[in-house]
Amino acid sequence: MRNEKELLELINVHLDPPAAEIKRKQNVSVSIKQENLIQALSFLKSHSYQHLSTISCVDWLDEGEFELVYHLFSYDDYINISLKTRIKREPGVFQTAKEIWPVAEFYERDIHEFFGVEFKGNDNLEEMILENWQHLPPMRKDFDTRKFVNDNYEWRDYNGQKHTD
Amino acid sequence: MDKSTQTEIFFGPNHPGVPGNYGINYNFEGDTVTAAEANAGHLHRGFEKLMEERIWIKNTALVPRICVEEPDINEMVYAMGFEAIGEIEVPRRADYIRSIILELARIQGHIFSIGGNAAGIGQYTIMNWGTLTRDYILDIFEEITGARVYHIYIRPGGVRQDIEAETFAKILDLMNELENERFPDLEKTLFENPNAQKRWQGKAVITKEEAIEMGATGPVLRANGVPHDLRKMMPYAAYDDVEFEVPTGDNGDAWDRIKIARDDMLQSIKIIRQLINKIPDGPVQTDLGNGLKYRIPKGDAYVKIESKRGEYGYYMVSDGSLKPYRVHVRGASTPLGLYGVREYLPGTRIADVPVWAKSLGICPPEFDR
Amino acid sequence: MANDKKSIFSPVTAFKNLVKKPETVRYPAESNDAAKRYRGFHINDLEDCIGCSTCQEVCVNDAISMVEMLDVPAEEGQRSERPQIDYGRCCWCGLCVDVCTTGSLEMSRDYSYIEIDPDSFIVTPAEKDINQVDHPLGYLRDEHSDLLDLKRIDMEMLEPEERINSFIEIVEGFSKEQAEKEASRCVECEICTDTCPASMNIPQYIRGIFDDDLEESLEQIYEDNPLPEICGRVCTHTCEGVCAISHRGEAVSIRWLKRYAVDNVDSADYKKVLGTEKIEQNNKKVAVVGAGPAGLSAAHYLSVMGYQITVYDSKEKAGGMMRYGIPEYRLPYDALDKDINYIKSLGVDFVFNTRIGENITLDELHEQYDAVFAATGLHNGRSTRVPGTDNNNVYQAVNLLADIARGKEVPVTRNLVVIGGGNVAMDIARSMARIQMDKYGEVNITVTSLETEDIMPADQEEIEEAREEGIVFKPGRGPKEIEVNEDGTLAQLCTNCCVSVFDEEMNFSPTFDDSDIENYECDMVIEAIGQGGDNSYIDDQFEIEYAGPRIKINDYSQTSVDWLFAGGDIALGPDVITAIKTGHDAAVGIDMYLNDEL
Repeated sequence: MRNEKELLELINVHLDPPAAEIKRKQNVSVSIKQENLIQALSFLKSHSYQHLSTISCVDWLDEGEFELVYHLFSYDDYINISLKTRIKREPGVFQTAKEIWPVAEFYERDIHEFFGVEFKGNDNLEEMILENWQHLPPMRKDFDTRKFVNDNYEWRDYNGQKHTD
Repeated sequence: MDKSTQTEIFFGPNHPGVPGNYGINYNFEGDTVTAAEANAGHLHRGFEKLMEERIWIKNTALVPRICVEEPDINEMVYAMGFEAIGEIEVPRRADYIRSIILELARIQGHIFSIGGNAAGIGQYTIMNWGTLTRDYILDIFEEITGARVYHIYIRPGGVRQDIEAETFAKILDLMNELENERFPDLEKTLFENPNAQKRWQGKAVITKEEAIEMGATGPVLRANGVPHDLRKMMPYAAYDDVEFEVPTGDNGDAWDRIKIARDDMLQSIKIIRQLINKIPDGPVQTDLGNGLKYRIPKGDAYVKIESKRGEYGYYMVSDGSLKPYRVHVRGASTPLGLYGVREYLPGTRIADVPVWAKSLGICPPEFDR
Repeated sequence: MANDKKSIFSPVTAFKNLVKKPETVRYPAESNDAAKRYRGFHINDLEDCIGCSTCQEVCVNDAISMVEMLDVPAEEGQRSERPQIDYGRCCWCGLCVDVCTTGSLEMSRDYSYIEIDPDSFIVTPAEKDINQVDHPLGYLRDEHSDLLDLKRIDMEMLEPEERINSFIEIVEGFSKEQAEKEASRCVECEICTDTCPASMNIPQYIRGIFDDDLEESLEQIYEDNPLPEICGRVCTHTCEGVCAISHRGEAVSIRWLKRYAVDNVDSADYKKVLGTEKIEQNNKKVAVVGAGPAGLSAAHYLSVMGYQITVYDSKEKAGGMMRYGIPEYRLPYDALDKDINYIKSLGVDFVFNTRIGENITLDELHEQYDAVFAATGLHNGRSTRVPGTDNNNVYQAVNLLADIARGKEVPVTRNLVVIGGGNVAMDIARSMARIQMDKYGEVNITVTSLETEDIMPADQEEIEEAREEGIVFKPGRGPKEIEVNEDGTLAQLCTNCCVSVFDEEMNFSPTFDDSDIENYECDMVIEAIGQGGDNSYIDDQFEIEYAGPRIKINDYSQTSVDWLFAGGDIALGPDVITAIKTGHDAAVGIDMYLNDEL
């Protein structure tokens, strides 16, 4: 049963991350270079971090990067690790984590659908939630929802008032 | 796979045998499922993108609509995420009130889903009893918050309004009524019913290794004998001030999970009694200034709580502006509904597919968002 | 599994419900009343509502639109719009009730409405809700759920003991955290902009402070006001009087926020921020008579448009009443100079110690310039003309204030009386109090006015601060005579009780009670009962229309003589911000006139 400091030491020694800090109680945040991420996941899993909550993606449009965050949890330490890495928005390609956690296949499918990130090694990246979607991946910051609605749908008039938008 | 003996059907999304707007496309041979695939996305409303376009306070009215059965967990994690990034302290009384609300939500969610499970095996009396009992709890919610289902009560900084003493008395009366009348009735009618036991025992087994590998939590994991509960592992709100047990099962099957749901409800009654007994006086809201101009520094947080189905978390990112930069919803049944269906549904008989889907607590809005 | 009870008779338990009363509500025979806090349909008190549209701002689903109400007048402090709710979109979250600035929007316990016509679901809530039936109230905002920030940040000010010893500025100004917190209180309803005489972009410059983008604030301010250092200290701030937050809490400190924004931008950056580094000249010339707020404002806006401006003033420096009337502890000279120097840096020429009508005539200006803007102000103090006012020890406040501003020594005795109830009376009394304290070590000043304290025209803050500094007030008294000793020194001021100041038609017509006499010992009397102007330089040469005592102007500050524009106190009063507006209007008007559009 490690506490946050011991965990941080373990990570710093074995993974040599660019940044690692104790965010708040029972929460540690680690940044990893993209080429080392899969190995880091494997290392942590074998050190009691067996629970993968989910994989999140954040679109940093101004910096031209996607940030992928893997949330891990240990049933021994009771600590949450947020493992972060950044990939370039163009071409938006990364490796799959499904060899370590098979369920990651679906999290990556979701990120592919909404952000357009391609995960090499994951061949199950078809549409899941959306249907026949022809436009930009919708969670990207350059997808304008108002413009999409105005281009594709018609506003209904109520009480003789025209909708202005 | 020999296609001449396989039949493919669409089970759902409009079917009383599935929990919500969710479909399972499966192939069966004889009357056993041989391959299955989730048909998700019917309940996609684009919450995560909507939340990015609205200022922080407006999202408190949007967030509960993600999950119908238990909306308060959404309000709670949203507020917790905001407070974690902004390093805001919540008054102790507000913590207690939040715990009371969450436990009441747990009871009404469990009784509703026990009713849903019973409907899955054809016991519609229990389904009606589930909805009825839930209704009395919704009356209490109406008195506390002003609305029955979507409360919009838990806010960043605390809760919206205080609870009066008469309402506490009503809650305690209702707890007594549940413990002395309704739950014993339920026990005799459903849990001692050999028909129900036969339909649920040994079905939809998820072992401990499979659950941890998938990332399943809550009753699914606890049915294998491990008492992992976020209220004990990462205490939030006022759970570090109360004593309760974490019910577990032995076999990891549907019967264990439904028994855990019943035991969870009894534990919740115990917790609520302790909370009402010990609740301190004080303010219920930290002053955060003008609601239209809530702002927290740059940062991110992954916060999670124990909902009735398991780990429910939000990953929130703030860029220091008036609106959230990214909110990612992680529901408890996401791995089960998408991955579990493909891996663990094959091998069940067609009549047990509703048992499988409902006892695992698959909630489509959690992955459709 | 082994110890699970089972019995095939277990379902029989359900049969007991056959003889029990059903638990469903037999609607409509039985009614199902909502709880006390139920969030039902809205009701709105249309008279209390000011149409600030904050409810529309916070609505999650864009369910609220603001619609014009024909029977509600748009008067000061409110708009003629009221919220209209589309119940097809509303989700009854109640955030609109939590944020309502006046508390007029409430919710009832009503939840049922059945109609075939979908358009009938869009209503303007009024006294009764959508069903037009009286229903008990439901969800109400209380102090926990209130979303507005009602308390002001207190402004640090010098203590009275410190203030009385010098002319140092009393108000210390906001720090960065204080300014950001105060700026966050604004709900951006723009009712303040409606009231401001110059229609300044108030929510926009406050937002600039909140976003820590002071350059944006400066740009927004200069669109309508080129004298923000001054207005940020001495403006009459009618905006704060109508601020939406002031209905249930304290108004946003708009004046102090304006001061914070301009205090914290360096003069050297002004031209870059305001885009006036290079101005294309159009080779037309305009003369401005009077370097007060109206003249400076016209000079600024005309310069930015490319005109060559020359400003004439009879005094030694620019500023008009702002320098020669407002004391330094309210408006320090370096703040005044920061604004004036920026206008000078745009290429405006100043000619001082020159009085039009004496050193140069208006006719000559008309020949040398393409247009003229006259804003000479009201610099001649009025007198009560009671017996004794011709004595040497009876002074005019405006003359003394001007001398104090020049740094000249002014006569001060141990026992002063000031006649007057407006801000000029406060200014002279508090200035003389400081000089008295410096010379004699104590303050001995009485201020007497016709008006009782509740209708005294001076700012309430001025009266309170004057009291703190040791000045005694005797309101509601009318001066009858100043008794003079045989050697020419003053003995006392004799007053009668002033029964009323205005008559029924609100004309100035004071009445007195001669039997009620009070005398105040004094050896110096200062009169501060109002000022008049000297427009002889215009009237001697041209026929010009008047509206009462003021020159008549149109919306572009143009007089009845088409090349002559007028503004400031001689055309429209009564304060600095109104003068600034007339100057800006004149600049627009002169530009149109010189392009044959007016």
